[in-house]
Amino acid sequence: MFIQQLELTHFRNYEKAEVAFSKGINVFLGENAQGKTNLMEAIYVLAMARSHRTANDKELIQWNEEFARISGRVQKKHSSFPLDITISRKGKKAKFNHLEQKKLSAYIGNLNVILFAPEDLSLVKGAPNVRRKFIDMELGQISPVYLHHLVEYQHILKQRNQYLKQLAMRKATDLTFLEVLTEQLAISGAAVLKERFSFAKQLETWAQPIHQEISKQREELMIDYACSIVLTDPEDKEAIYTDLLNVYQDNQKRELDQGTTIAGPHRDDLKFFVNEKNVQTYGSQGQQRTTALSIKLAEISLMHELTGEYPVLLLDDVLSELDDNRQTHLLTAIQNKVQTFLTTTSLDGVKKNLLDAPKVFNIDQGNIETESE
Amino acid sequence: MQYPEPISKLMDSYMKLPGIGAKTAARLAFFTIDMDEEDVTDFAKSLISAKRDLHYCSICGNITESDPCDICRDKDRDRSTILVVEDVKDVMALERVREYHGLYHVLHGILSPIEGTGPEDINIPSLLKRLQSEEVQEVILATNASAEGEATATYLSRLIRPAGIKVTRLAHGLSVGSDIEYADEITLLKAVEGRREI
Repeated sequence: MFIQQLELTHFRNYEKAEVAFSKGINVFLGENAQGKTNLMEAIYVLAMARSHRTANDKELIQWNEEFARISGRVQKKHSSFPLDITISRKGKKAKFNHLEQKKLSAYIGNLNVILFAPEDLSLVKGAPNVRRKFIDMELGQISPVYLHHLVEYQHILKQRNQYLKQLAMRKATDLTFLEVLTEQLAISGAAVLKERFSFAKQLETWAQPIHQEISKQREELMIDYACSIVLTDPEDKEAIYTDLLNVYQDNQKRELDQGTTIAGPHRDDLKFFVNEKNVQTYGSQGQQRTTALSIKLAEISLMHELTGEYPVLLLDDVLSELDDNRQTHLLTAIQNKVQTFLTTTSLDGVKKNLLDAPKVFNIDQGNIETESE
Repeated sequence: MQYPEPISKLMDSYMKLPGIGAKTAARLAFFTIDMDEEDVTDFAKSLISAKRDLHYCSICGNITESDPCDICRDKDRDRSTILVVEDVKDVMALERVREYHGLYHVLHGILSPIEGTGPEDINIPSLLKRLQSEEVQEVILATNASAEGEATATYLSRLIRPAGIKVTRLAHGLSVGSDIEYADEITLLKAVEGRREI
């Protein structure tokens, strides 16, 4: 899929702007603080109905204005439709094909974007919860059933932890009820784990060849879902359930002492290995970057496999972070398939790698000018 | 100008009711002043009698004027089935169906450690006592389809099943007359899981 055109009204520093994009690569060129990232944000908001930079929608409205509006036209294989987001101080309205969608979940998913920004490096370097969130976000977008199991798991976990605390303080004594909560936790936990394992595996399948290519066959990437519990068969929900129950049983004494659930999906992690070494601890900066890049590119293929369409790729200020070789691979990987938007302050060192002529937009204080070459 | 004291007192009382704020309370208070004295007296009496004359049934926990309640005393009801619900409003809802002729048991709550409700805080002991003394053959667990409702149902079945009594749970799935296309994913999932042969 690709975005044909975009129209902004009172969005951040854009008073009014209208642009037509290329199906291929679009470059937003400009000095710092001119509005390049704002434009990226606008596309992200059009897709996800929320910003990746702020939780407060009102920040998106231009200073002293009443509302902000983003509208665009999306072209898919067999259809084309307009999307429209209006943000006012009272709230936001999302329209798909001229019709207002009361549920944002019905709106999201019409335009799929993948954003790659410098902070995405924390996917490799950051704490385990960053990676759990990454899995949950990706799987949640694709599978509402996963989301249901996840929410249920987190809810029961809260109940169980509370009850463990009460037992620890001798305010409660009923171990049968603890058993019931443990069983419920294991049921939803097993569903969550099964999906996460298969997601990690799929991601690895797609990321491996990409990583190999970027690293010129020198590195082999492995992705491992590091479960806090040893599982006999991660593909069998019943087996996971039994394993979870056994672990909870073994842990019971310690859990009663500590008043909290010590193992389970809420303590898991995703581990990345390059040539069998953990990238998070032993990888160089460059390897960490390559890994993050491979994962993002793998997401593109994964989404294509699951939805039949390539998502739109947003590269915010990442090209400058990658060396020539990684740039070339990134750009060849997306060539002719994925509509891409990228921001940069200078075309030097970027342009020569672009096989196809990119469409360049000069961004200057909230004005967008199409470069005519 | 401030309200005369009787009015502010009346407003204060109205504001103790759920969903009523200062403005609605003022409107209701002034309306009450204009009502016939007889109506106002009836109103006051009903308030007091609702509080004084109603009790919880000592057998099933349902709300009643006389103890035991009408349902528990009714000789025509099927004494071999007990349907367990969270609160009194659920009994009313099920009674409207007119198809269930067994007995009830009201738990007056649901197991939720976050809310501070454990097994000893809801009406479970009297249920277990009933199961010992009466010729009950089936217990239907009709708690809500939430995580807490499920936990409560599972917990109860754990306690009851060893006594050799049949324990059943209400079905999950599509609501009658609804369109499949409008059902949410989880409801559909439950409906597919709980499908039956026809």
